[in-house]
Amino acid sequence: MPSADPPPDAATVVLLVEDDAPTRRRLHDALAGAGDFLVTAASTLAEARAAVERLRPDVLLTDLQLPDGHGTELIREVRQALPQAEIMVISILGDEESVISAIMVGATGYLLKDAFPNDIAATVRELVAGHSPISASIARFIVRRTQGTGNPATPSKLNTTRLTPREIDILWGIAKGFSYAEIAAHLGLSRQTVPGHIKSIYRKLEVNTRGEAVFEAVQQGLIRL
Amino acid sequence: MSLRARLVGYAVLQALVAFGCVVLLTLPLPDPPNRYAIATALLEQAGEQVPVRLPYHAPRALADKGPLTFTIGFDRPADTQAPWSVMLPRYIDGVEVEINGAVLLDAGRGLNSRADRNAFELLPIPDALLKAGPNSLTVRLHMRGVLNGYLDRVFVGPDTALRPASELRGLIFRTLPIVFAAWQAILAILLGVMWLKRRAEPLYGVFAVAMALGVVQALTVAPTAQTPFPTLNAVLLAAPALEAACLVIFMLAFLGVAQPRHIWLVFVPGALVAFIGLVGEPMFVLRAFLTVGVPMVLLSIVFMFGVMSYMAIERGDGSAALLGSATTVLLSFGVHDLLFVQNIITTMPYFVGRLSYSALLVAIGIGLVWRFATALNEVDGFAGRMIALVNEAEEKLRRSLALDEERSRTAALAGERNRLMRDLHDGLGGQLVSIVALSEQPAWEGPRIGEAARAALRDLRLVVDAMDDIDGDLMLALATWRERTLAQLRPHGLELVWRVEGPQGLPVHPELRPWHVIQILRLLDEAVTNAVKHAAASAVTVTIETLAGGANPSVGGEKPADEAARRRGRITVADDGGGFPAPEDACDGVPKGRGLANMRRRAARCGAALHVHSAPGAGTVVRLDLPAVFPDVEQSG
Repeated sequence: MPSADPPPDAATVVLLVEDDAPTRRRLHDALAGAGDFLVTAASTLAEARAAVERLRPDVLLTDLQLPDGHGTELIREVRQALPQAEIMVISILGDEESVISAIMVGATGYLLKDAFPNDIAATVRELVAGHSPISASIARFIVRRTQGTGNPATPSKLNTTRLTPREIDILWGIAKGFSYAEIAAHLGLSRQTVPGHIKSIYRKLEVNTRGEAVFEAVQQGLIRL
Repeated sequence: MSLRARLVGYAVLQALVAFGCVVLLTLPLPDPPNRYAIATALLEQAGEQVPVRLPYHAPRALADKGPLTFTIGFDRPADTQAPWSVMLPRYIDGVEVEINGAVLLDAGRGLNSRADRNAFELLPIPDALLKAGPNSLTVRLHMRGVLNGYLDRVFVGPDTALRPASELRGLIFRTLPIVFAAWQAILAILLGVMWLKRRAEPLYGVFAVAMALGVVQALTVAPTAQTPFPTLNAVLLAAPALEAACLVIFMLAFLGVAQPRHIWLVFVPGALVAFIGLVGEPMFVLRAFLTVGVPMVLLSIVFMFGVMSYMAIERGDGSAALLGSATTVLLSFGVHDLLFVQNIITTMPYFVGRLSYSALLVAIGIGLVWRFATALNEVDGFAGRMIALVNEAEEKLRRSLALDEERSRTAALAGERNRLMRDLHDGLGGQLVSIVALSEQPAWEGPRIGEAARAALRDLRLVVDAMDDIDGDLMLALATWRERTLAQLRPHGLELVWRVEGPQGLPVHPELRPWHVIQILRLLDEAVTNAVKHAAASAVTVTIETLAGGANPSVGGEKPADEAARRRGRITVADDGGGFPAPEDACDGVPKGRGLANMRRRAARCGAALHVHSAPGAGTVVRLDLPAVFPDVEQSG
């Protein structure tokens, strides 16, 4: 049920894909209320695909469990069709499983479903500005992977070989609960460059051969179809 | 099988064996063709030549009167070209042979052939000595005086016609004894080695000695013969008696019969013969051998036969029955020899007792190998049983270990489940119930429902985070908690100041378990919630530090490991709010009293110490001193 007006050029066009109606309305309202977003909401994969065709959104916010498919398919398609688009996955817990599987197909951020309206708009705005959010637990997951350790019960094809030592240091700092400012001071960086590093980390974790990535993810049980 | 059946069976078996022996003894040894036989001779007696029939038996009493001279005439056809021989199929004790006055053989003076080798001769006649037509053959028969003299028919004819019968005798009476001596030598060596390796079983040693004596005995010649060592030869005449004594001892041991107390007496006859051999005259030694040694051998055979028969009948011992049968053979032939010596049997003038001894040796060989094979099989069976037993025990152990492991895993799982249940019950459950209650209120409770739902979500994340594998680094759990707390404080306009003292923050605790983490995070949550709800504060400061252990925290002591082990973490949550009076006494009635008691209980469960310090206007400081080592089991609050 796309509810869209043709977007003015100035505003950021956001496509919101979420099957739960109250959550969808809540997220829609939080973004629409901020004023600088043109929000279109979709509840199924099919609606979302149609809306991507039609709107060519700047930002895609998508849930992973959709009635007619998996959100990673949508993320992959949008990543290919609109390389400049920012993609965020909407997660209830912000858990590694859903966030990492989304990152591997091209997402560069995540949003908690119960975040406060102000935080929702701020997070999307940050993302558009090139600042990807990352949680301590996601950072920990990636660092673990670079060390070749981690939980053997959830094996993953996450490839961390392209990360630089500095990027791993940043992740480690985040995992330990340090703020961006503290990490920047520690590593001799400017505080503003840290979020950019995180986005770069996400991009490096993306698997280039998309079909293969999804296949691998499904094989590894990372994605439950 | 009953005793009676065994008795009858054994008796029948021995009778058959004895009968077989008798039949064998009545079979004549093949002679050369009869047309070459000469059965008449002229015997020189008191200067006259008396015609006699061959075979001729001479009483041993005539021995003193010198050799008996037989003159035998034969014709050689004129047209014969083939070489001729003279054959004496059997004689006792020694002969000289002349053809037309020329000596062919002079074996009479030495008398070095043994009686039990059943002397015979095949003598080729040089062509030059033979005349066409009548020829004269002279045989002088020498006697020792022990056995009766004997001269069988004489054969004269073409060598090719006489040789087969001669070679058969050679095979039976000369080669076979050597073969048996070799067999005894091999047994002596094998059993000797066996005894060397198994000193605990002297029967093998005794048997080896018996076999060695048998070899010696087989190679010994009569003491009257001219040998380089006559005394040694005389002593060696004791060998058969000693061999028999050893065999008796061996047989008793082999059949598992208790040795009688004076068993050593069996060696007395042999020792006696050996002693006489040392000091006596050759003829006296020979008489001692015949009167002491031979009866000893016969007695031993009879005694062994008795023991074997008893074991075979009474115990049903199969190897005893086999040995008994072999001994019956030996006895049958031995009796024949006795009767022959006593001139009672004259038709079969051969000694066969010694030859038949080989039957006993073969039976003993079979018995020994049978016993080894059985023992080996038993060892295999024993090893197999042991392997089966070990496998069984191992399997049992593995099962019980698996069971234990399963049990402890089940217990651990049940413990985890119980804790998780309680955690969910404490947090999520209560919040959901309060959401239900709020939603049923007639009044609009949206904000409070939202607050409870958020608390429920926060709690869910807390439990999920606590389950995460953090390798004992509490800082990792606190990092996530910091994010959640930031999100929680932001809408209330409270600032979160996060101070980590030192590079590491908190020491790493390898023993840290998820339930410890849950207790600590819940406690910190409650401290922050109190600050939000009741303190009217503007900032919450969380300080994380590590205290050096012991009384001297600043000096890195001599035992850094101990020092490290005693280092303790401290987490302080301070707000700049209104504070409250004397929290220690405010447990009853005051609403936040319950929260405080809860926090204390949580701290106590994981061995941490909680200090709450507050005064009106001075804010509240909640200080949590973590233990040096987290407890394995929950401590009672």
